[in-house]
Amino acid sequence: MRTITEHQPAPHPAALRYAAEYRDGRLGRREFLTRATALGMGAGAACGLIGVSARGALAQDHGAGTHGGTLRIQMDLKAMKEPRRFDWSELANFCRGWLEYLVEYNRDGTLRGMLLEDWEASDDASTYTLHLRRGVRWNNGDPFIAEDVAHNFALWCDESVAGNSMATRMTPLIDPATGRLRAGAVEILDDHTLQLHLATPSVAIIADISDYPAAVVHRSFNGGDPVENPLGTGPFLPEHYDTGLRGALVRNAGHDWWGSDAGAYLDRIEFVDLGTDPSSWLAAAEGGEIDMLYQTTGDFIDLFDAIGMSRSETVTAATLAVRFNQDSPPFDARDVRRAIQMAVDNGVVLELGYDDRGAPGENHHVAPLHPEYADIGPPRHDPEAAREMLASAGHGDTVFELISLDDSWQSASCDAVAAQMRDAGMRVERAILPGATFWNDWMAFPFSATEWNMRPLGVQVLALAYRTDGAWNETAFSNAEFDALLAEANSLADVDARRAVMARLQEILRDEGVLIQPYWRAVFRHFRPHVRNAGIHPTFEMHLYKYWLES
Amino acid sequence: MPGFVIRRLGTMLLTALCLTFIVFALTNMQPRLETLAKTQGSARMSDAEVQSWLAREGFDRPMLERYGEWLGVVPGWTREQADGTLRGRCIDRAGDAAAGTRCGVLQGYWGSSTRFNAEVGAVIGARLGATGMLMLWVVIVMVPSALAIGVLAGMREGSRTDRSLSTVSIVSTATPEYVSGVIFIALFASSTFGLSPLLREWGLMEANTLFLGNARSAMDRITFWNFTLPVMTIAMYGMGYIARMTRASMAEVMTQQYIRTARLKGASFPAVVLRHALRNALIAPFTVIMLQFPWLLNGVVIVEVLFSYPGFGWALVEGASNNDIELLLACSVVAVIVVLATQLISDIGYAWLNPRIRVG
Repeated sequence: MRTITEHQPAPHPAALRYAAEYRDGRLGRREFLTRATALGMGAGAACGLIGVSARGALAQDHGAGTHGGTLRIQMDLKAMKEPRRFDWSELANFCRGWLEYLVEYNRDGTLRGMLLEDWEASDDASTYTLHLRRGVRWNNGDPFIAEDVAHNFALWCDESVAGNSMATRMTPLIDPATGRLRAGAVEILDDHTLQLHLATPSVAIIADISDYPAAVVHRSFNGGDPVENPLGTGPFLPEHYDTGLRGALVRNAGHDWWGSDAGAYLDRIEFVDLGTDPSSWLAAAEGGEIDMLYQTTGDFIDLFDAIGMSRSETVTAATLAVRFNQDSPPFDARDVRRAIQMAVDNGVVLELGYDDRGAPGENHHVAPLHPEYADIGPPRHDPEAAREMLASAGHGDTVFELISLDDSWQSASCDAVAAQMRDAGMRVERAILPGATFWNDWMAFPFSATEWNMRPLGVQVLALAYRTDGAWNETAFSNAEFDALLAEANSLADVDARRAVMARLQEILRDEGVLIQPYWRAVFRHFRPHVRNAGIHPTFEMHLYKYWLES
Repeated sequence: MPGFVIRRLGTMLLTALCLTFIVFALTNMQPRLETLAKTQGSARMSDAEVQSWLAREGFDRPMLERYGEWLGVVPGWTREQADGTLRGRCIDRAGDAAAGTRCGVLQGYWGSSTRFNAEVGAVIGARLGATGMLMLWVVIVMVPSALAIGVLAGMREGSRTDRSLSTVSIVSTATPEYVSGVIFIALFASSTFGLSPLLREWGLMEANTLFLGNARSAMDRITFWNFTLPVMTIAMYGMGYIARMTRASMAEVMTQQYIRTARLKGASFPAVVLRHALRNALIAPFTVIMLQFPWLLNGVVIVEVLFSYPGFGWALVEGASNNDIELLLACSVVAVIVVLATQLISDIGYAWLNPRIRVG
């Protein structure tokens, strides 16, 4: 094995192909950057390949800020957990003050090395070499070394920990016999270099370790509440965290943070949990009690505009999945699912349910935003045919119950679905459940709507939600051909080759009538005009070190 | 008298026991436990993971036994984990030495709140303190103004003052908090609607809004700006009610023979009202005021949630929506104590004010 001291990666062959695709107009800039950086290129080098100024492309993240000030953010503060068990982005957002990530998914679609300087993938996407950033220290003075990273992979791969959400992402590194990190899967080459040996190829592994439960903890960490012993590499320290009430981060003056020449501008960041009712957020914002929201939804977008706050917006691959559970009759019959799908015009759901803030979906849960998205055309909308199909399946008079969460846009979207089903002559009832009840049974409801946040790559959601053994498979969809094709797609570094497979995967999902996926959401956040560089992130990540205040 | 107080305390204990058992039974129904597991473990756990979580946290044993543990009459559960360490109700709190001991309400341990990730005693203490401040200000605003309105209205029954003050009190008591709170926020705490834009336009106000429609900052520092609306919302409702009672009582007293005698012997009208009528007229409202306290404690639920003020009512709602078992149990004990204690004080005080009644 070679020892790497000065690292100068050659462009990955696939990255060169992406650059050609970008020049042909087959790949957008954002998709190009996601793909190229996922293969191990630095964002700067990737920009160089397509002749875009790296400075211009990255300026939005690196605008020089003014130091000082306190930022007050409205955000839910749920009971803290250890990072790999995070089930809400909010938990991670607080810990981002002192826990950093190997790789960061940026608003513009790039993956940027944080604790990694860079990384390389083998051609078949089964071996990854990770180069650690040098000069990084923990806030107790320890140097950040490969042993830390290996320890984190071991934590992430431990399936015996209930609710370990990283374990579902780390499958290629886990030994199925023990449910733990496979011996030899993570190889330490030297203090600053590691190699990952994947059992099955995966193009998603770098994107996976940028996800919010992948916060990097110290090699001595072994579970527990990260706030109690805030040992991390980041520039802030928690002052207090009162679940359900408030929390505060302060800049860690005694810590020499590796990125301090371009970030960590704020002196203090306060979080306030104002409950789930946006009208109390509005009241607090009007009184000047908060500077920034976690997210603004529905009618409140216009209301926050009206009180003079700045709006930030980004298109995402986040969606609402109005899905059928195929274990529950009558949804075990494909024709029933297909008929309901055909009765619904997704554009209408977008307009009525989400105020046209987004783009219509195509019932297969792969977004045009994803690099491997294949255009297989819009879904068929034909209420007449739907009625006949349902009648011939023997369910013309069946009463369907569509369940949704008591969240305004989710229930409005489901109302729009139900109304269109009624227009097609179907009998539908609606049920709206409060959060606690809804999340208790969300996987088992026969016919309900679930909010899905986005992943950077199309294959990631498919693996999580529609593979037979997917951790969050709420549709009970099980299809051998689909599973095999998905495995194949995961090993294809060539995006065109993968797109051909994706086309088939998307068709299977749609032909089997797995879900009505009405739209891709745009997400919004409001902040007071003096808050800078705090635009909403497609996956709700808060890169606190980038935020600053204009004095 | 001592016998009366002891009987009342006995009632209190029995009521608390019954109520907590009912709350315990309701919060320990299987679907509620699954909710708890999912909020505590992971929102998206599978059914098998939920079961293993419940077992690991000691929820898989008979309900009566666990109720006994909460009371502190049964030793807390202990269980060996997969990695050989001991876990249990008392061990989590006091270390391995506590294995096999009792730790419950009798030992002064109220359990731990799953919603707030802290000991229930500390949570309830802090939240009751916040509600105490709210109630204090409500009483300071509500009682004097209600009595003043009632006395003014009742001293000349049927007069124009009586009619207009009665209308005000009926309107205020007929408006529930969830209506008046919303109206207040719209009128006084919006920068684009109601009074605030007008005041700003006329140059009478610098701030964005007249009052703050969210009382979270009152947790640290109570100001006129952040506390007026929640206090007014609660006070308005109770004020009308007490004023009506005072007015009725006052009007009745004013028709008594001794009042007429006092007038005939030449006492001025204010002297008659203050010296002769007032004390007798306040007996009935005193009971009403005392009975307002338990109502305040429960009535603040709406206002505290509406203004996101983290008091007792807010904690109760948070506990209920997250099935925080031990927090809810403690809340019910507090509610029982407050209701019965104020009734006790009201009975004793009534006897003190009215010599015709004797307690015992």
